Amino acid sequence: MTVTELARLVDGSIVGPADAGPREVRGGYASDLLSDVMAHAQDGDVWVTMQRHVNTVAVAQLKNLAAIVIVNGRQPEADMAARAAEHGVPVVTTPLPAFDAAGRLYAAGLRGRGAS
Amino acid sequence: MHPSAIVRVAVEAGLDGVVICDHNAADNVAAAGRAARAAGCVAVPGMEVTTEEEVHLVALLPDEAAAGVLHARVAAALPGRNAPAAFGEQVIANEDGEVLGFNASLLAGATSWTVGRAADEIHRAGGLVVAAHVDRERFGLVGQLGFVPTDLALDAIEVSAATAYDAGRRRYADPLGLPAITGSDAHGPGAIGRALTYLHLDHAETAEVHRAIRAEGGRAVLGGGRPMEDLALHVLDIARNSAEAGATRIEIRVEEDATADVLRITVTDNGRGMDAEAAGRATDPFFTTRRTRVVGLGLPLLRQAAEAAGGGLSVTSQPGTGTRVEAFFGLSHVDRAPLGDVETTVLVLLASHPDVDLDWTHRRGAHEYSLATADLRAALDGASLASPAGLALLRSAVRHGEQSLAETAGRRSRTETQP
Repeated sequence: MTVTELARLVDGSIVGPADAGPREVRGGYASDLLSDVMAHAQDGDVWVTMQRHVNTVAVAQLKNLAAIVIVNGRQPEADMAARAAEHGVPVVTTPLPAFDAAGRLYAAGLRGRGAS
Repeated sequence: MHPSAIVRVAVEAGLDGVVICDHNAADNVAAAGRAARAAGCVAVPGMEVTTEEEVHLVALLPDEAAAGVLHARVAAALPGRNAPAAFGEQVIANEDGEVLGFNASLLAGATSWTVGRAADEIHRAGGLVVAAHVDRERFGLVGQLGFVPTDLALDAIEVSAATAYDAGRRRYADPLGLPAITGSDAHGPGAIGRALTYLHLDHAETAEVHRAIRAEGGRAVLGGGRPMEDLALHVLDIARNSAEAGATRIEIRVEEDATADVLRITVTDNGRGMDAEAAGRATDPFFTTRRTRVVGLGLPLLRQAAEAAGGGLSVTSQPGTGTRVEAFFGLSHVDRAPLGDVETTVLVLLASHPDVDLDWTHRRGAHEYSLATADLRAALDGASLASPAGLALLRSAVRHGEQSLAETAGRRSRTETQP
């Protein structure tokens, strides 16, 4: 699925960058511990999290993640938004809680590393 | 930071020692130890361990061998390899600043150890367990877990430089009956010394630091704070100068007057005094008989702090009679520096000069408390004020007094909100 479709599925908005829409999302990972994401997320995953600070972007770059979805209606901190824009990391905000956001994406066919 | 650079900056800042706590590694502590010994200060071997829950625990280790043991166990529990493009190179250096190699583990990651397991591992290596920067939400024990596990064997609590030492100590350490330490958590040389802990030791050595945290053999944690900001530490600096100028009697008054919106701090001593010319130059930043910089900034910067808060400072002195330093500040002025931990002022002054007669008064509005060491000595039956009994008595006298001021302020503000 594309980032545009993903945002629609979670009733969310793409915060940036401008060319994020058509980017491909291949899988998903949900966690709020950065060390856990660094250890387990996979290339092309969307990362569902409540974290909204600048270090999330560094992790997304490190793991080549497709997008960061910030849940619970939370907005990225200013320096997170700035760094994401600067480094071309798509950020989507959603009013949904993490469980529901991940559930919607799973129902639409997106899978995580647990998929057989 | 290179081990030798850390030591050099620490010495310039007037510190007697530092604790080296790299994230999830201790492969630079030996070099830091050699650099420190050459420079005449202490580099306590340590490590900041990241638990599975992303809680930071600082380990204070007894020696370099123990650091090596813990380092190996952490390395085995740390998944992932470093990505230098994202996290930079993880340099292992010697004390001459030469690069010996690189640590390939993902030191920015987390070990697979829970908080309980990590504490056990640190203790098994002979170390002390400190809950790091508990006042910070991220990576702090309380922030990450939401509570302090009741069965967690901690040896101390760390308050970060972002929080006033006394507030952090009262909130996190006192309820657990643990000593509170503070420090810079410097990730770069410029931050070294921005916060520090005062320890009562027999001499500067790692084993003594351990004894102080364990409150063994008369060693103790006396207090802490931010020497560039806390007025309590400026006062300590001035009072210690008085004692070093031969004063046998020092009077310190801290007066907070909300009605007049003034904070007044007065330090009076019966030391050797200064002539008019020296007194005039005492507030000149380019005149000093001291060689070290930190631990309070002396008079020139106290004057600067006072003037920045709409106040001022005066020094009156008579050779052979004594000196009086009086500083006043706008109490509610937006740039008025925090008072800081007055308990640290009293304890460190008397631990270093136990025979001085101190008359201490802290006044807030219509309420005040005082303590006079002359009276306290009577209760000690010959024991020194720097002995465990003496320090305990001082600590309890100041705490009791500070609490009484806080309570009366609380009562007054509740009354004010009633219609």
